[in-house]
Amino acid sequence: MSTYVEARDVAAAVAAMADGARPVAGGTDLVVGARHGKAPLPESIVGIHRIPGLDGISVADGVVRIGALTSHAAILSSPELASATAGLLDASAIVGSHATRANGTLGGNVMNASPAMDTGAPLLCHDASVVLTGPGGTRRVGLAELWTGPGKTSASPDELMEAVELPLPPEGAGSAYVRLQYRRQMEIAVVGAAAYVEVSDGAVSAARVAITALTPVICRVPGSEEALVGRRLGSNDSVSGENPAVWTQTTEIGDAIHAAGQAAAAAATPISDVRASAGYRTAMAAVVTRRAVTAALTRATGGSVTVPASDWSER
Amino acid sequence: MSIDITLTVNGVSHPLAVDPHASLLHTVRDQVGLTGSKEGCDDSECGACMMLIDGRPVNACSYLAVQADGAEVTTVEGLADGNDLTPLQRAFLEKGGVQCGFCTPGMLISATALLRDHPRPTEDQIRIALSGNLCRCTGYDGIVAAVAAAAEQG
Amino acid sequence: MTVTEERPTAEQQGTFIRPDGKEKVTGLGRYTADVNLTGQAHAAFRFADHPHARITRIDTSAARAIPGVYAVVTHEDVPENLYGGMVQDRLLFAKDTVRWEGDVVAGVAARTQAIAREAAAAIVVEYDVLPALPDFVANAQPGAPLVHPEWTAYDADDDLSREGNVVGHSTILKGDVDAAMETADVVVTSRFVADASQGAPIEPRAILAQWTGDRVTVWTSTQVPFAARDGVAHTLGIPQSHVRVIVPLLGGGFGSKCDFHFEAHVAALAEAAGRPVKLVFSRREEFLAPDHRREGMVLEFETGATKDGHLVARRATLHLDKGAYTGEGGFFAQMAAMHACGPYELDNVAVRAMLTYSTNQPSSSIRAPTAPQTCWALEQHMDQVAAAVGLDPVELRRRTLIRQGSHGPTGQVFDEIGMLDTLEAAVEMIGYGQELPDDEAIGVACGWWPSMASPSGAYVKLNGDGTGTIVTGAQECGTGAVMALPILAAEQLGMRPDDFSILYQDTDAGPWDMGASGSQTTFNNGRAVVAAAQEVRAQLLQMAAEKLEIDPADLELVDGTVRAVGAPSTSVTIAELAGTGTPLLGKGSGDLPENPPTDIPSACVGRLGLDSFLAPQLITHAARVKVDRETGVVRVLAFAAAHDSGVIVNKIGADGQVYGGVMMGIGQALSEATYFDEEGRQRNPGLLDYKLQTASDGPRIDVRWIEVDTPNAGPKGSKGVGEPPSVPTSGAVGNAIAQVVGRHVTQLPMTAERVWTTIQDVQEEAK
Ligand SMILES: Cc1cc2nc3c(=O)[nH]c(=O)nc-3n(C[C@H](O)[C@H](O)[C@H](O)COP(=O)(O)OP(=O)(O)OC[C@H]3O[C@@H](n4cnc5c(N)ncnc54)[C@H](O)[C@@H]3O)c2cc1C
Ligand code: FES
Ligand code: FES
Repeated sequence: MSTYVEARDVAAAVAAMADGARPVAGGTDLVVGARHGKAPLPESIVGIHRIPGLDGISVADGVVRIGALTSHAAILSSPELASATAGLLDASAIVGSHATRANGTLGGNVMNASPAMDTGAPLLCHDASVVLTGPGGTRRVGLAELWTGPGKTSASPDELMEAVELPLPPEGAGSAYVRLQYRRQMEIAVVGAAAYVEVSDGAVSAARVAITALTPVICRVPGSEEALVGRRLGSNDSVSGENPAVWTQTTEIGDAIHAAGQAAAAAATPISDVRASAGYRTAMAAVVTRRAVTAALTRATGGSVTVPASDWSER
Repeated sequence: MSIDITLTVNGVSHPLAVDPHASLLHTVRDQVGLTGSKEGCDDSECGACMMLIDGRPVNACSYLAVQADGAEVTTVEGLADGNDLTPLQRAFLEKGGVQCGFCTPGMLISATALLRDHPRPTEDQIRIALSGNLCRCTGYDGIVAAVAAAAEQG
Repeated sequence: MTVTEERPTAEQQGTFIRPDGKEKVTGLGRYTADVNLTGQAHAAFRFADHPHARITRIDTSAARAIPGVYAVVTHEDVPENLYGGMVQDRLLFAKDTVRWEGDVVAGVAARTQAIAREAAAAIVVEYDVLPALPDFVANAQPGAPLVHPEWTAYDADDDLSREGNVVGHSTILKGDVDAAMETADVVVTSRFVADASQGAPIEPRAILAQWTGDRVTVWTSTQVPFAARDGVAHTLGIPQSHVRVIVPLLGGGFGSKCDFHFEAHVAALAEAAGRPVKLVFSRREEFLAPDHRREGMVLEFETGATKDGHLVARRATLHLDKGAYTGEGGFFAQMAAMHACGPYELDNVAVRAMLTYSTNQPSSSIRAPTAPQTCWALEQHMDQVAAAVGLDPVELRRRTLIRQGSHGPTGQVFDEIGMLDTLEAAVEMIGYGQELPDDEAIGVACGWWPSMASPSGAYVKLNGDGTGTIVTGAQECGTGAVMALPILAAEQLGMRPDDFSILYQDTDAGPWDMGASGSQTTFNNGRAVVAAAQEVRAQLLQMAAEKLEIDPADLELVDGTVRAVGAPSTSVTIAELAGTGTPLLGKGSGDLPENPPTDIPSACVGRLGLDSFLAPQLITHAARVKVDRETGVVRVLAFAAAHDSGVIVNKIGADGQVYGGVMMGIGQALSEATYFDEEGRQRNPGLLDYKLQTASDGPRIDVRWIEVDTPNAGPKGSKGVGEPPSVPTSGAVGNAIAQVVGRHVTQLPMTAERVWTTIQDVQEEAK
């Protein structure tokens, strides 16, 4: 006998979850997954979609906080996020369709823990953590510790995710997310990659790279990061970022971008399915990684990369 | 277990008892009796079931009716003012945006949501906003032209 | 006098609003799934559990015991009447053998759909599993295991061959190919593989059946109500007059809703349940269960050409996957053979096409069956020939396409046709020859498709207020084809198109018609409506002549009146004449145009009547694409479509057919395929992985009509319109891709991965 209650605050949601209810926010994963026959709908469900205060974006004390119920559409129209976490916008802009984006939430995307989720890689690159509240209180968990397998998290079933938090990036930082897409909308990432870079004094001072749909959980690629850190961007002409193509030539940074791509391909352990063969996915891992890094560097150096970077990189 | 909810559909409030797993689409089609919204896939891929919930476009086939308790739901039947078609509906007819018509209800809902947020959309904005609505008949040309024409008229 | 407000005519408005438009944009129109009857039960099917197996036991007792189940029906409950269009090779419910994963073993009617599904799953079916036979090329070899071991005993069209698994074997043999090949400057060979694809209408099929006494009414989402009626009558062993088929609004078909499908299953369930029964397919079922998808093909071409761009000989061998049952698709081998020649002048031809059974989903008519894949392969082959002789691909086509007076590949001599004009128009619209970035290119492809002559009938009657009603057997699937009928009737009667209502899609109302298939509605039913309207016209003239005391020859019908030529004030309104109570009713069918003769023995091309193309519809498509060389992702940036469909009767409807057809063609070119596993099970039966193009993938499409007033054709010199728009689309896209990549992609669809693999191959070889 299935049941449903709607929670009006966090405490009520946590109480229902402690009683065995699964939270539903936008339902675009939970309900659609059941329709696909992936997993039947849980018998007991608690609606969290109207809990006040669980949505919204704020920046304070060097921390960007995005409420769990923030929709992809809201992420897209946030000027704060546009400058701080462009890579997240790249992801939210291509989630499903306009309806998916209007209803799908960041909390649902992250907690669903799909290896193909689009916001995962950029959030990981932004060193994000989630704020989890359970009967025992509130804790913060980094994404790398949160995701434990396809569809699995280390959150306990009675922990509600309240928000995603990430450090406000410094000047000279840039991020981007690029996925391989057969159609421009209504896709599932065949493969994807995100990059976050900080550029100072004409060189890459920090780099984080993560890959999507290439490993059982979205993960960072240390080899790609090492390939980038310390590399000089080259002459002033190319640092302008207006013409990132020069970076793919045999410049120092061009080599580094290429190496970052190779490292991502080496880290990939993809599957073959009806969407792509493992061999193609591996080759594409290098391509999307190069493109994500290029877009992130372009943004970090003041160049313009339109959202979503996936479309931009096809131009 | 049935849950008591109130759905306000096109301005009319309906007290209903629904199964917690029932979709908004089946509830509106079978219980409220408005069959304008269509089922083309049941898993959010085609957009034929599109409704507005408090103004947000939603794939009603994959949305739990219980989650819409107390919300304002708009279906294609709620667009026209009595017998008077909206400029968007008229443009669909004049620009060849309708053939078999099965995608039309969902297209109209998505386009309505778009024009509310972006009264003067670019062609690419129109195409992106309608990407969750599959049409097999028109090749989208007439539909995109219709949305642009309706935007022109304001 | 009746009062009619002054409204602008459709032509004055510049647009003709579809009569069914308002109900469609308001959501008030009813499609089959929207129709409900008091007391109705819901149906579910038990499909085969293996693609190929012998059934050893069916036990329905557990299913029957489930509360809420009204009836369970298997082969035991219906007559053992084999059915099928050209070969009667199928039973409603499988008895001894299942031959594909969509074979229906049993049906359930229950209080809710959930109960029906639960009960269908509870039926016990035991099998001896047989090896699946999905490889249609292997199945065509002598000695291959048979999909239908007993099939020589089936009833079938005498003109089909039956050797082993080969259902249809068509050849076109003309001239002396061996000798001609010797004279060629170049001989080019190519091999292509096309995957299966789907019609994928957005409306999944729905059927509702209700018995009243020993008669049954079936509401169904079919494109062919008369075929559905005949199928129900035949399989259930009841008179045709006891079956009435009504089609509410139809949510698209594209061929997939042609032929008789599940109407009899539901009628049998309704009879057993003693109440109305409704079946609505899920999207998954809409992929898996219909015996109707576009056939997979393997195509081999060899063409000899001279340096000055003449085609001296063509050999081709085509294999087509029929799947498990023939349905209406028996003519495919012949159709494919014609498309392997294409609209070109060819004196020496040796084409062989084999349509072969497999244990895959049956293929059957989908929008221009066999043409898009064959044309895709041929047109890419033609570009290869052009490269080999050192000619621009457009120039090669200029020199070899059929024109007035040409002898086609089967010796058909062509009347006035606009083939070359479509080429020039498409080339001009796309801007052929312009400078493009090195990842962009333009591809061009040409194709053809016959107009189908079929008997058809209509009644036209006038109502007392001076309006008219067209009662027709024609069917509308969204194409707007039926919408052209009022235009034709109005012209005959000096009335306005919107003066007419249409009563149709009801087998008890209109005369027999082939249905919404073969692009034939305006072509054939239009002729019938014109003939019926002419009868009414004669009646009106006679009545007016008596009333006005003027010779009928001196009268004309204009603006809703009959008036004296040269003296318009001497007139009587049509409303006045119709209001007298004298029934004004015309019926018509018109004369069937005959297929043009050929000059080679018809035995060589089979006898299915497609060895010449009546009023051929001629097409050139041109695509500008951009290829992402690193990923293989292709975007179509611009598209031009030029068509000779004769005189265009309803422009907004015709344009719509091209836009939709081109987009379907782009989908087939790039993303749409049904993939089977080794056993012939579909791997992607859903819209998530069977990828239709979305609004954001599509280019703007430029359309131009080359309006040739065509003799021996449809009304006003029109030809068909609906099927050609996707014929050369994938060929144009493929040729454009090859321009960028340096080689043709030899598998359809040309997915990103396949394009990328081709690029890798080219790079490997360059090393
Ligand atoms: C047509 C379609 C296209 C899609 N395309 C994409 C795409 O391109 N990229 C992509 O990444 N995703 C895509 N998705 C998946 C989905 O839309 C997103 O993951 C979305 O962000 C999920 O949010 P939601 O609120 O709808 O999640 P829900 O379905 O409500 O929840 C998802 C899961 O998270 C849990 N959960 C939700 N909120 C919380 C919380 N606050 N605390 C704890 N647990 C919680 C739920 O119990 C459930 O297990 C698509 C979905 C559809 C239907
Ligand atoms: S029916 Fe809801 S998206 Fe297709
Ligand atoms: S009009 Fe038929 S699906 Fe859009």
